[in-house]
Amino acid sequence: MVNFFNSGKTSPRLERLHGLSLFVDLTPAELQIVEGLLHERDYLAGEVIFDEGEEGQAIYIIAAGEVLISRREQGEADVNEPGTSHPRRRQGDFGRVAELGPGTFFGDLALLDNSPRSAQARAASPCQLIVFFRDDFVGLLDTHARIASKISRQLACHLGARLRVMALSVGAHHHLL
Amino acid sequence: MPGRGHHGSGPIVWAVIIATTCLLLLVFQKLLWLVVPFLLALILYYFLYPLVRVLIYRGMSRHAAASLVTLGFLALLIVVGLALTPWVAGQMAVWQDTVSRYLHGGLQLLDNSLRNMEASWPTLASARLADTVATRLAQSAGSVADHLEPIAIGVAAWTPSLLLAPFLAYFFLRDGHRFKRFLSAAVPNAFFERTLFLLHEIDRTARAYFQGLITLTALDTVTLAAGLWLLGIPGPLALGLICAVLAWVPYVGSILGGLLVVLVAATDFHDTPGMAYWAIALFGVVRLLDDFVYMPLTIGKSLELHPLVTVLMIFVGGAVAGVSGLMLVLPVLGVVMVIGETIGVIVTDARLMARHRHALALRRAQASADL
Repeated sequence: MVNFFNSGKTSPRLERLHGLSLFVDLTPAELQIVEGLLHERDYLAGEVIFDEGEEGQAIYIIAAGEVLISRREQGEADVNEPGTSHPRRRQGDFGRVAELGPGTFFGDLALLDNSPRSAQARAASPCQLIVFFRDDFVGLLDTHARIASKISRQLACHLGARLRVMALSVGAHHHLL
Repeated sequence: MPGRGHHGSGPIVWAVIIATTCLLLLVFQKLLWLVVPFLLALILYYFLYPLVRVLIYRGMSRHAAASLVTLGFLALLIVVGLALTPWVAGQMAVWQDTVSRYLHGGLQLLDNSLRNMEASWPTLASARLADTVATRLAQSAGSVADHLEPIAIGVAAWTPSLLLAPFLAYFFLRDGHRFKRFLSAAVPNAFFERTLFLLHEIDRTARAYFQGLITLTALDTVTLAAGLWLLGIPGPLALGLICAVLAWVPYVGSILGGLLVVLVAATDFHDTPGMAYWAIALFGVVRLLDDFVYMPLTIGKSLELHPLVTVLMIFVGGAVAGVSGLMLVLPVLGVVMVIGETIGVIVTDARLMARHRHALALRRAQASADL
């Protein structure tokens, strides 16, 4: 039984996870549980991670590299073809929303509901992503509510900050008071 | 997404699912020495996993938690085994007498029934059916010891493979999460999220199946015990539990359970033959309840199978692979169904296939960049 309960022990992998904003509140023991649920994926520059409109199943955390978030631009996609009188919607016109770097995460709404992805994510450079599957998160809510609540709090902070930025950009300050 | 009822699978997908299930049942029938301990290990895994999770949450490593829980379970089995051995040894002679008594009671019931029928129908009397059956049974039945020998040899032959069960369960507990990651790591990026969902659904299906099996056993035990208690047959709860566990083997197990109760009723109430008929009637009712209400509501529901499909597939499983087919058809169908539906959705999704081709082209370009 000696050293069976090694709650203070951390591996480099766990330390790296602890450095990610989503898991910053977790203890080493809690991180060990979460670590068992995470997947790692490697993407090449230009590779699509997920498409706008598809059902989200997981949240992605960037361990290395950059990811471009873009959204189909409805208004600017209508162009006039030579020789035709009617405008035609060009396929594949995406407007850049954000470029994310290591330590940040995206696709977070997928943890909360079954709604379609609101934007496309594409690797801007070769990148390594950590993937947290929604049903594993839902399982955590049932089995380890404390861990799930800590992750949820970070998620709420992130969503709040994003909402604040969006509201400020459209001048809706009074809604944020 | 597949398995959530958003898209119904087409007839081709379902034909492939049923054909694959039948093929797997045929293969599993040949590998029973591995399939049975594997299934027992899965039940053990789902039974012990909550304990492992508690220990991990307390800060123990996964390896240590899996080892401790498995060793604890084995130690408990050994302690219970050692404690029961002297009692079992002492009871062996009594049990042998009891089995002989109940078998004799059953044969007596059969003989009385046939002689009553002969008294009613002269055709049967002229055929001397009761005497013929009694002679044949006397020739083939032999003593209890004659039947115990093949059972003992069967148990001895199965013991090594059954010992695999805790061994397998330990590795499921220790490395189960790695296996899921190992499988998903082999999947191309384009299909990754769908595959994660698929693996989750398989896990959920297996968990729901075994939980459904436990619920079904409890329902069968309570119903049978209530019926037997109303009839006044001794030990209703124990008999109900034995019959419910035997019912894990669909149909065949239930017939064995029914015979057991009829033997007990015929022996303990030999002066009231009507009791045995009441026991048979009770079993008929419970059998119908089990097949058409309880099983579709518990196991069938856990697998999200239509009750009609559940019942039909039980018959198909029995026809294809006998007793092992009856036992394995529902869990195998559940897993094949999830895999089949997911693959059907993936290969018909043009966008996912295009993304996969794009990723392959990127990888080829990277590999040949400096050539």
